[in-house]
Amino acid sequence: MTRLVPGSFAWLASHELRLAWRGRRRGGKRQALALVLLGLYLAAGMAVAYFLMGVPIDYRAEIGIGILAASVVALSFMTTQAILGSQQTLYESRDLDLLLTAPIEGRVVLLAKLAGIAGAIALTYAGLLLPVVVPVAILGHPHLFGVVALLLALALTAAAIGIAVTLVLASVAGPRAARTVGQVAAAVLGGALFLFSQLSHGGQGRRSSFVVIFEDLRAWGWGETGWSGLPGHAAFGDPVSLAILLAIGVALFAGTGAVLQRLFLSGYQDAGMRLSRSRPTGKASARLFHAGLFRPVLAKEWRLLARDPGLVFQVILRLVYLIPLMLVAFRGSGGLIAPGLAFASVLVATQLTGSFAWLAVSGEDAPELIAVAPVHKQRVDQAKLAAALLMAAPIAALLPIAIATVGRSPLGALVSLIATAIGGTIAGYIELKLAKPGQRSAFAKRRGGSAIAGILGMIVAAIFGGGAAAIVYFIG
Amino acid sequence: MTEALRIRGLAKAFDKPVISGLDLDIAAGQLYALLGPNGAGKTTTLRMVTGLTRPDAGSIHIFGVDALADPIAAKAITAWLPDEPMLYDKLSPLEYLAFVAGLWRMDPQVASEEAERLLHWLDLWEQRDTRCEGFSRGMKQKVALAGALIHDPKLLILDEPLTGLDAAMARAVKDALREQVDRGKTVIVTTHILEVAERMADRIGIIGGGKLLAEGTLDELRDRAGTEGMTLEDTFIRLTSGA
Repeated sequence: MTRLVPGSFAWLASHELRLAWRGRRRGGKRQALALVLLGLYLAAGMAVAYFLMGVPIDYRAEIGIGILAASVVALSFMTTQAILGSQQTLYESRDLDLLLTAPIEGRVVLLAKLAGIAGAIALTYAGLLLPVVVPVAILGHPHLFGVVALLLALALTAAAIGIAVTLVLASVAGPRAARTVGQVAAAVLGGALFLFSQLSHGGQGRRSSFVVIFEDLRAWGWGETGWSGLPGHAAFGDPVSLAILLAIGVALFAGTGAVLQRLFLSGYQDAGMRLSRSRPTGKASARLFHAGLFRPVLAKEWRLLARDPGLVFQVILRLVYLIPLMLVAFRGSGGLIAPGLAFASVLVATQLTGSFAWLAVSGEDAPELIAVAPVHKQRVDQAKLAAALLMAAPIAALLPIAIATVGRSPLGALVSLIATAIGGTIAGYIELKLAKPGQRSAFAKRRGGSAIAGILGMIVAAIFGGGAAAIVYFIG
Repeated sequence: MTEALRIRGLAKAFDKPVISGLDLDIAAGQLYALLGPNGAGKTTTLRMVTGLTRPDAGSIHIFGVDALADPIAAKAITAWLPDEPMLYDKLSPLEYLAFVAGLWRMDPQVASEEAERLLHWLDLWEQRDTRCEGFSRGMKQKVALAGALIHDPKLLILDEPLTGLDAAMARAVKDALREQVDRGKTVIVTTHILEVAERMADRIGIIGGGKLLAEGTLDELRDRAGTEGMTLEDTFIRLTSGA
């Protein structure tokens, strides 16, 4: 940073990129494990590169369609990540006070933040792509360095779209609603392509919907020339395609800084004054007070969960991915559908209950309040687990209902429901016993905090899901 | 005279001893200020009293209840207010008080009425349905104080209750504490603001090196330190200089 002019965009952007990089680093054993895995992946990439060394890799329409599809999917996920990153920048990062009180233009701050978001996105996908692509490119296929530029263009585009969506939402819906709406939008966007593929092509026999889409695109001549061929040609190092895509990315990036500067500043100022709406209830306050321990705990957990935009995102994402499974049930007639749904039901329930239990039990923002209260911690934990199960129940019941109604197997539904309830309870109990305490804000990284609980949860899902699927299969 | 808190031979070590054989008696119906230099063990002592930290040795009795043998009974009559308020940002003051009332198993009718009284008294009634996330530190401290008071504790323990509060808010909290003492409650506070202890406390204890260095009224402490006519600050520095 010493050679950059302090206060300049480059200086600030390098600061943001450094933060993004450090945000990825983990300490101790996890860092070592990550490095080992990366090393193994890189070794695999080098092996692939070695075998492809003498093999010509030429551009074909099929490859172009594949890269186009991968780019669209990646852009969708990147935009989801960008929306979440933008929300974090606007509502959770604490350095904007410092940056915006410094004698630096708001536009420069916005652009630097955008660079940080784009950098974080690019880092995520670079870890997946570059250990394979770079060795292949070095060992005889230098044109494939175009993938790196394509990745950069996509990250810049996604960052610009993500922050634009966030700022427009904040402007239209206000800071409070914007957080929730933004998380919902991100969740829907993250699952939208999967959902679209199922909705539009899910009913054509036994062929995969992705195969159907691919064949349609090839028939329409996509991926060869024109805009649909741009990502593919860019990935193969075509300078014109690369220039066009990078120009689009940079233009969106710079344009966002110029156009949305005012929205950014007002969005941040509003975020700083996010006093919740006040709804005086007068004498009705008595309705909030309940006898015993369970109802107050349930009410508190429910309110905290329902008011957590991050959680809304997670739950909606799970629901979005549930919809195609439901569609399969509505359309299909094969004998494996009901067992498959039974397995999925247990899987969803264990994941959801585990998440809720982690939030309720470990993600306790005031652990000392519980500790100084005249109640045994075990009783509070039991009440929290019950609350987590109650909150997961409506979603966990969806697939058993589908088995009963669409699959016409009430007995199978009952088996699924029982397995779902037991699996969910055990998963919640595992979280209760093993999860490491943490802040609710760490929910998105919770698996990182308790790997054993996560693995045990998956084992429970496999055992009870597999058992339920087998029983449902045999009872027909 | 009833003893609100009786501590004997209390000891706690983390990497090194923090509290070593502390004896302390606090009579009921007093405002007691616990002073000491940074790292003297004030907060550790109070966390042991409230059951948040397990002592290595010693005994703690709160109004005759053995806090180590029967922590639930001891907690039922105690309130703890740390320097960082134990709040949920996403709950409103009223919802927070309903949750606290549930933890202390209060009768809903009584809890509801007490919550309304406290919110009016602490000037929070207009914000009763507003989530705490947008509150200032002072407002959060007042919500936490309401949570500490709603179950009518006999012993109220506060760790640096005035840190970060503006003058008006600090005055409101001090008045609230004084009113609790006037109602017969026992209040223990730790503070770095010696003027607060000087003006408010009935008795003052000074901890240093894990032990009680001196204890008494302000005049008794001055006598002991040989600082007649001087401020508590002079007395405090004299008493803790060798600790």
